[in-house]
Amino acid sequence: MPGCSKENPPYPDTPRLTPVRTLAPITKPASRGQWSMLMARAQDGDREAYRTLLTEVEPYVRSIAIRYLKSSSDLEDAVQDVLMTVHSIRQTYDPKRPFGPWLVAIAHRRVIDQLRRQTRRRSRETELSAEHETFAAAPTKLFGDNSDELALVGAIDKLPPDQRDAIRMMKLKEMSLKEASQASGRSVSALKVATHRAIRNLRKLLKGELS
Amino acid sequence: MRKTSDLIDSLVDSATPVRRLAPPLLRTCIWLALAALILVLLCVAHGVRPDLSMRLKQPVFVVSMFGALATAVLAALASFELNLPESRRWWLLLPLPGFAVWVSTIGYGCLTDWVSMNPNGIQMGEAARCFATLLMTSVPLSVAMLIMLRFAAPLRPTMVSAVGGLAIAAMTSFALSLLHDLDATIMILIWNFGIAALIAGMAGALGRPLLVWVAAHVVPLLPPQLSRPQ
Repeated sequence: MPGCSKENPPYPDTPRLTPVRTLAPITKPASRGQWSMLMARAQDGDREAYRTLLTEVEPYVRSIAIRYLKSSSDLEDAVQDVLMTVHSIRQTYDPKRPFGPWLVAIAHRRVIDQLRRQTRRRSRETELSAEHETFAAAPTKLFGDNSDELALVGAIDKLPPDQRDAIRMMKLKEMSLKEASQASGRSVSALKVATHRAIRNLRKLLKGELS
Repeated sequence: MRKTSDLIDSLVDSATPVRRLAPPLLRTCIWLALAALILVLLCVAHGVRPDLSMRLKQPVFVVSMFGALATAVLAALASFELNLPESRRWWLLLPLPGFAVWVSTIGYGCLTDWVSMNPNGIQMGEAARCFATLLMTSVPLSVAMLIMLRFAAPLRPTMVSAVGGLAIAAMTSFALSLLHDLDATIMILIWNFGIAALIAGMAGALGRPLLVWVAAHVVPLLPPQLSRPQ
């Protein structure tokens, strides 16, 4: 571009990109020595030291797990699993030894274990596709399919009121005799008789309609 | 799934002071002391084999006993080392020298005893007592080993339990050789090699679920509210 130089930029109002210092790595060697001290204090029951340690260690564990796991939920599972393992076997850490290899060994083994579990699970499972569904398209229900149901509902409507209520409570709502008795205020034996008569009448009504 | 920050809160809340694990060498000594105690008790209750003084003069027998004992000691040390997360896999090779001596003398013993085998050498009564010794040695040692190695449950349970099983098998074989007159070829094969293979094989196959079970139920590594989904 003519007339364009470092001293004379083409768009003077545009903010220029300036080189920035890269972020420091999450773990500096010095912090590992500190982790060792924090873990020693955590073993002695210092909860604040333990909280600081777990909070500082978590991104480091995440950076190890992300090399193996892509899905964010799997990654989160793995990080939590490593933290729980660190908690469950914190007795095995010897403050005379470096903390880094201890943590890295736990993280690697738990992440690899999770990968194995995933592989095993996926070998047993098959993802569902459209072919596995009963209706690939929106389900359709033809009138002919529920004509019996309509006939039954119509026949129930034709029953005397006491029988109609009994059959609705006992058979359609699937209430127990005790529940139906409480709901209707009728005795159990009266409900039994009404249900029996209702079924007999329904049979007659439906036979008549069919014939 | 809960948030990681919530998990950290729960872990901090349940963080009670813990006693650091003793160094592997010391833990090996503790386990060996238990084994020695069991052996002494068995020797007092049952008595050593009648021909022990004579057998101790035979180099093959002494080397075989030494091989079994060395395998037990080295395998126990290896399993307690492998119990620590950051230890190297090379520890697996530690029991190999003792194991090689032990196995080679068993083979040699079979060969020589085959030639001089007495038809009356195999007796069921002795076999039953052998079985009792086998159980009384291997069961308490296995229980102690499982509890002591429970920290390996989330890390490398199969490897650690296989090496621990080898230690138990070798120690059991040492006890059998010390207490019972097992010089018939078939008895040597069954009791020494067969049982050792069986214990080590069972430890390899069942060690993982057993260690996981011990770490989850018998001596829980995690409090109930933090139990790990299996």
